[in-house]
Formats: sequence, structure tokens, C-alpha cells
Amino acid sequence: MASDSPDTQEPRPAIEVGGMDFCYGHTMALKDISLTVADRKVTAFIGPSGCGKSTLLRCLNRMNDEIPGARVTKGSIRVGGIDILHKSVDVVKLRREVGMVFQKSNPFPYSIFDNVAFGLRLHGSVVGKSELEGRVEAALRSAALWDEVKDRLRESALGLSGGQQQRLCIARSLAVNPRVVLMDEPCSALDPIATARVEDLIRELRERYCIVIVTHSMQQASRVSDQTAFFYLGELVEFADTMVIFSNPANKLTENYIRGTFG
Amino acid sequence: MSHIFREYDQTLRQFQEMILKMATLTRQNLEHAMKALLTADTDLAHAVIAADNDVDDLERRVDQMGMEALLRFHPVASDLRMIIASMKISTSLERISDHAVGIAKRARKLNLLPPQAEVQWLEPLYADAYSLLRDAMDAYTQHDPDLGESLDAKDREIDRLHKQLTRAYSAKLEAHEGPAEAWLHLIFVSRSLERIGDLSVNIGEETVFLESAKDIRHEHRKNGSGGDASQ
Repeated sequence: MASDSPDTQEPRPAIEVGGMDFCYGHTMALKDISLTVADRKVTAFIGPSGCGKSTLLRCLNRMNDEIPGARVTKGSIRVGGIDILHKSVDVVKLRREVGMVFQKSNPFPYSIFDNVAFGLRLHGSVVGKSELEGRVEAALRSAALWDEVKDRLRESALGLSGGQQQRLCIARSLAVNPRVVLMDEPCSALDPIATARVEDLIRELRERYCIVIVTHSMQQASRVSDQTAFFYLGELVEFADTMVIFSNPANKLTENYIRGTFG
Repeated sequence: MSHIFREYDQTLRQFQEMILKMATLTRQNLEHAMKALLTADTDLAHAVIAADNDVDDLERRVDQMGMEALLRFHPVASDLRMIIASMKISTSLERISDHAVGIAKRARKLNLLPPQAEVQWLEPLYADAYSLLRDAMDAYTQHDPDLGESLDAKDREIDRLHKQLTRAYSAKLEAHEGPAEAWLHLIFVSRSLERIGDLSVNIGEETVFLESAKDIRHEHRKNGSGGDASQ
């Protein structure tokens, strides 16, 4: 299990969701969700398909704004203390603060360098060439990819293996110095070795970022996360330390799901 | 409630059945060892020594099956506790059976010496140790953590009887009443029965962990309510 000795002080919250309802058209997908995600921790969202875990993840950087009729109908979401649902929020800036890594790696058909530099150029946060190169290198190092690609930065990202492409996407989201990194089943298309590399990376990244991961793998949740939230039919059933969830969950529904005795 | 993966259920069922079989054999070995001692039955003592192989085999099978279940099914929550607790219970049962074999071996040696009526002094200690083992297994099979938690108090009575017996047999030894070897064997039998009490308490503690995820090991020492550091 991914647990360290108990912290002497409570980590500050990176994300605070309060009494939130979310609907796709007339269908309510999330009901009265309240949870606080700690900074510099890995938090796993688990639950059966359709339980709302990915919907909640996409709410955290307003990715659901792209879906017609999808909207938060009640409650609040704060990231770093800022109400991200407020009309004045610039979603491009929000997504720099709250990066996202998807189930299937989605590198752009550009060079490895340009993939990582993309966000930096978009946000105009880097002025000089040497600064840009430095930030790209730092991001690739953070994603544990630098040693594998440093001699072929100008080659197409599409020539990388699946695991390398996924780490490149992680590097791309890290390049803009986010506060939070959201990961939606980031290893589901990877082989066991590539999965182990990404999981190892997730554990390293928690030193600097708040990471929220949606996963269908109970083993992955227990290996990489510090806290786990279990969702069922759009409701948050239980949210606790991962060690507690997987050794002695308080709720019978949680126990049935993680033991595989569901239904 | 059944697991979605049916083979998982089957493995867990077989696992519990093996523990119960092991407990039955262990209890039987203890009964026979003490009967061999109290009735000077050397043939029965031989039978106990031979039967211990079955308990050893079962311990190995429990470990194998536990490893396989951990590897294949990645148990969590109460399933994980069941496998871990049962593997530890199997180790305690195997040690109890080893003590039964030790008693049987001493019975065999005592039967070659002039009979000592004082061997009967062991009966109350044996009755308590046997009762504690039975309670421990009842706690496991009946999913009764309260019974499991209550065993430590009963074990203190066993510790008290063991100390009394050790003193009494030592006095005989020092007084040179009969062969010294006989008194030493009886002291060690008393010690084995006392250890069987401790191992039964361990089974009770594992049952509490299994049923309520509570680790009560060493609690009585922390509370200063028992335990004998000299043992």
C-alpha cells in the first residue's frame, strides 16, 4: 500500500468540492458531492463504470464545459481557494493550473520538444529560447523521460512507445507548472513495465503536485494513492486513507466493491 | 455475499476447511498425548508422534494456498484479514501439535521409569489448556471476536497453575524423591501446556483481527493486567 508515516500536520487542501450536483441535460450524474483533496498527495477515485468518477475529474478543470447540456447545477468547486465555476474564470488559465492526462496518450504530431513546449508557448509564459529549452528539459526530467529522449528531441513524438508517449503527455502538463494533475486511467493502455514506470512517476510527482487519478484497477489505487474515494451511482460513498479503504472500509458498499462481491 | 469470481470463493472455502481439519487433528493429538501420559500408554504416544506429519503437511498446504490466493486474487478488506489471520492460526496450531508431540515423547520416556502418581497433578492444567484451545477455535469458527478477546483472562489461570506445578515438581526434585529425570519431564510437560495456553490466546487475538480489524496483541501487557515476563 502506498502509505507513509502519518504527517505531523494536516496538508493544506488543493481542491474543495462542496455539495455539488452535476447534470448531463436532465440526467443527474453527480449528487451532493463534498470532498477535500489534499495538496501533495495522490488521491484515487474508484467505482464501477458510470458511477461519476470521471465526470467529477473533468469538473475539476471544467473539461465538461465542452459537452452540450453538461453543467454543475448546485454547489461549489474551489482550486487553491479560487471558485473555478465563477463566470470570470479563464478556463485556459484554469487548465494550466489543473493539468490533465488522458486514458490514451494523445501527443501532437509534432516533435518531442514541441509537444512539451506547446503549453509554454500557448500561455506565453516563456520569452527566451534558452529559457524554453530549460523548461522543456525540466519537464522531461520530472516525467522521467529525459534520459530516453534527450538525443532525439526533434524527432516525432509519434515514434515513441506507448509508455513513453504517456510520460510525454505528463511532461507536457508539468511544463506549465500546474498545481494539480488529473489522470484519467493513465495506464489502461500500457503494458506492465510501462505501467510500473508511470506509477513510480506518480509517486515521485506527489512531492510537488496534487494528483487525482481515476482508475479501475484496485491494485493500482492501493499502490499509488494516499487517499481513495469510492463512488457509486453518482454519490460519494466513502473517502478515507487508502490503507483504511483497502483494509477496513467503513461502508458495506465499499467493502463489497473492492472485494469483488458487488451486486 | 459471493465473489463475482467464483473460483475465489472456492479457494477461500477450501482454505477455511483446511484450518478446521488442522484444528481437529491438533486437538486430537493433544488429547492422545495427555492420555498416553496419564494412562502410561506408549503405543498411543507413538501414534501421536506419527500423526504430527499430517499437521505439518496441512500447515504447508495452508501456506501454499494462502500465497496462491494473495497472488491470484489480490484479496482486500475482510478477505485479506481472513487469509493473513488464518495463516497465522495455522502456525499456532502447528506449534500446539509440536507441543503435543513433545508431551508424547516425554510420556514414552516416563513409561520406562517407575510410575509417579504425581503425574495426575497435570490434569487440571491440561483441562484448562484444552478448554482454552477449544474456545479459541470456537471463536474462529463462530466469528466471535468477544470470545476471542476473553481468552487472555483465562490464560492467566493457566499461568498460575503452571507456576504452582513447577514449584511442586521442583520440590520433589530437590528432595530426591524418585528419579530426577521424571520430575524434569513433568516440569517440561507443564511448560508445554502453559505454552499451549499462550498459543490459544494468539488464535483468539487473530480472530479478533479477522472479525473486527482490531489488533489487540500485547494489549494486556500494555494494560499491566497480566503476562509473565519470566516465562
